[in-house]
Amino acid sequence: MKLFKSSLLMVALTSAASVYADSVAITNATVHTMTEQGVLKNATVVFDDGVISAINPDTVEADTSIDAQGKILTPGFIGAMNQLGLVEVSAVSSTRDSGEKKADITFDASVAFNPKSTVIPYTRKGGITANITVPRGGDGMFKGQAFLADLSGDFDSIRETNVAVIVDLGAKRKGSRAMEIQKLRYKLQDAQEKLDTAKDSNKDEKQPKRDEQVIRTLLAGEKPLIAYVDRATDILALLAIKQDFALDLVIAGAGDAVSVANEIADAGVPVIMGAINNLPSFDALHRSLTSASKLFDAGVNVAYSVSGDTHNLYMLRFDAGISVANGVKKEDALKAVTVNIADAFNIDAGRVAVGKKADLVLWSGDPFELSTHVEKMWVDGVEKTTKSRQDALRERYTAETNMPRAYVK
Amino acid sequence: MQKFIPSVLVAAISMSLTACIKSEKQDEKVEINKNPYPSTYQVLPQQTTIIRNATVLTGTGERIDNADVLMINGKISQVGKNIAAQSAAVIDANGKWVTPGIIDVHSHLGVYPSPSAESHSDGNEATQPNTSEVWAEHSVWPQDPGFNRAREGGITTLQILPGSANLFGGRGVTLRNVPSQTMQGMKFPDAPYGLKMACGENPKRVYGTKKVSPATRMGNMAGYRMAWAEATEYKRAWDKYEADYAAGKNPEAPARDIELDTLKGVLDGEIKIHNHCYKAEEMAMMIDLSKEFGYHAGTFHHAIEAYKIADKLAENGNCAAMWPDWWGFKMEAYDMIQENVAVVSSKANSCAIVHSDSATTIQRLNQEAGKVMYRANENGFDIKPKDAITWITANAAKSLGIDDKTGTLESGKNADVVIWNSNPFSVYAQAEQVFVDGAKVYDRFDENYQAVSDFSLGQQ
Repeated sequence: MKLFKSSLLMVALTSAASVYADSVAITNATVHTMTEQGVLKNATVVFDDGVISAINPDTVEADTSIDAQGKILTPGFIGAMNQLGLVEVSAVSSTRDSGEKKADITFDASVAFNPKSTVIPYTRKGGITANITVPRGGDGMFKGQAFLADLSGDFDSIRETNVAVIVDLGAKRKGSRAMEIQKLRYKLQDAQEKLDTAKDSNKDEKQPKRDEQVIRTLLAGEKPLIAYVDRATDILALLAIKQDFALDLVIAGAGDAVSVANEIADAGVPVIMGAINNLPSFDALHRSLTSASKLFDAGVNVAYSVSGDTHNLYMLRFDAGISVANGVKKEDALKAVTVNIADAFNIDAGRVAVGKKADLVLWSGDPFELSTHVEKMWVDGVEKTTKSRQDALRERYTAETNMPRAYVK
Repeated sequence: MQKFIPSVLVAAISMSLTACIKSEKQDEKVEINKNPYPSTYQVLPQQTTIIRNATVLTGTGERIDNADVLMINGKISQVGKNIAAQSAAVIDANGKWVTPGIIDVHSHLGVYPSPSAESHSDGNEATQPNTSEVWAEHSVWPQDPGFNRAREGGITTLQILPGSANLFGGRGVTLRNVPSQTMQGMKFPDAPYGLKMACGENPKRVYGTKKVSPATRMGNMAGYRMAWAEATEYKRAWDKYEADYAAGKNPEAPARDIELDTLKGVLDGEIKIHNHCYKAEEMAMMIDLSKEFGYHAGTFHHAIEAYKIADKLAENGNCAAMWPDWWGFKMEAYDMIQENVAVVSSKANSCAIVHSDSATTIQRLNQEAGKVMYRANENGFDIKPKDAITWITANAAKSLGIDDKTGTLESGKNADVVIWNSNPFSVYAQAEQVFVDGAKVYDRFDENYQAVSDFSLGQQ
């Protein structure tokens, strides 16, 4: 028997990439599904081998059953527009893999993603189960390709690469913003003309260059173009480009989006913004704590990202809470950190529904409150701890000991 | 004849010596004006006001439910239950919470204002490792819209500090958070000056990359010691001048040195040290440094590793100003724990402070303190709101040397008061009304008390 157990353990260890997940039933939960089903009270969610297999089944069959005691179950929150897994200590250059002088539109930093980064377990404290990591790119306006990773901490964390093209527009330290907008338009125009010519001449064209291939995926609407931009006129210029080339456009940053909220809503363009950014810049004179609620009211699909250093990503839920205090409906704020971010990047996440990945968080209370913590969380159906290096340090320095603390482990 | 001459000379010399001692007057005493940019702050229109039926956190470690706060002539008159107050304006605060005005000991509002612009980047004279001669107050742009945003978060007092590129960054200034056209109009009357010092990575990086000392942490320490040694000489020269003058002599005053004036101010106990210093071992050395040169090491700011030496800080009477959760942006911020403030606060005679160093989080210092309280309580601490509030009120006032004037709701203190719509340690909490010296400076529901910066006015 003992032998059997250890050999099982061996199997588990050697095949860490595909950990067998027990089936789990979470009963008596208040489930925010983020689907048409809305909020389900006293609900049961069953997942098996990483996938949600049933919601409110007639009979519950599972290896493990967890009574949620009425507590809130949500999809795992999704981070975005940060450098999670690419930067361990921001000021230590050898731990930074998010950019490269010559990185261009083809830059895919996912190979550098470090699932063992200390930032990941810490970020799980914020109920975040997946993240869209965005490279910083190089000198050019295209910063490269975003990728989706889960926060399992496993070596197979990358779920999807090349999920979006990132372009940085707007105010420039040197030169004119007009040049960049023009360059973007020309690039799209040239690629479109090349495609049209190839079609007309009916000849086999030469294999397009790698950067052209990326531009073509944008023209085909296969992936979104995420554009960092704040000023209203820049947003309008981008909406026009979207219109002309039928792009799947997402505005990020969006400091002055409130000034053109209706235009953004009419164009069906999602906005990714920092919910608590309210200090003016010359590109964002009108941003305030009520910007998010004004955009929601206008019918814009708003998603939140935490601005600043990636190490602060765990605060995403607090930013959502602050937006609620400033007029956003709670359910909308929840959308902004789940479905809306998933949909902006066309990724299959952010919902509690049969067939979806079991990325779930059970909260001790209101997910946005400072007093709340994550009780349990599952990434791809596997329960994950929120304990991090920070907890180990706290325990070391609050322990009773007569020996130097280096002996407290 | 020849014989005669010397004796005449002797007589002449002795006569002139006698004349010198007996009749030479002292020159006018050289006095250094220590307050050349005095506060012109005026209390805004205020009236006797009573806030009734609130949950009151006094900032003295006390919570009083269903309590009243009476403000008369800009001062806290009484705090307690069922206070009689005829002819006072009444604010019904049933269901609301009241705290002292929030104090941020570490802000760069006005010196790194919004919008961020090259021409307004005035927070760090990063041209040499010792710039004790610069005063942050000479950089403050009072129209920074960030002051208004901070007021909306209950900030009534804040210290503006120079940046941390230098070993000695210069003087900080404590401001009342009221709108004014001038820095002097915001200056907290009679608040002591602070001297910004910085340990660790910043000075060694900024100067090391220029191939100028300091390039290492030992270079940092050498720089501090040489400066304090020089300051000690300067102080000795002035003390000697003072003593000689008092003795009726007519000594020559030492040459005035604006840089050393500030360091001397610290040695004289008039200027408080505010030391950007993250790491346990460096804070310990800064304490020893202060003992070597005979001053107090003051408050450690961004004290990420304060929890590792909490006993030492308490024993030496150092305040530690901390974030709840900033980390990872450099090596000295790698060992963050979310309970840092709580660990420091758990020691007898401690002085734990939550600070912002941010134009964004200064708007929610209450919530920053809340994060610490809840995380600590999840991990074996028992911290109540009445305790947590002291991290952003009383202890902050102590750090700035203004605890005799503000930081608690005690009778006789300045009526710096915030009315919150709920428990201020909730993510949904909003400051509804803010008072400075009993004058309403912000009202969430009344545009007449919502200041707009000149910069924001009329923008399309």
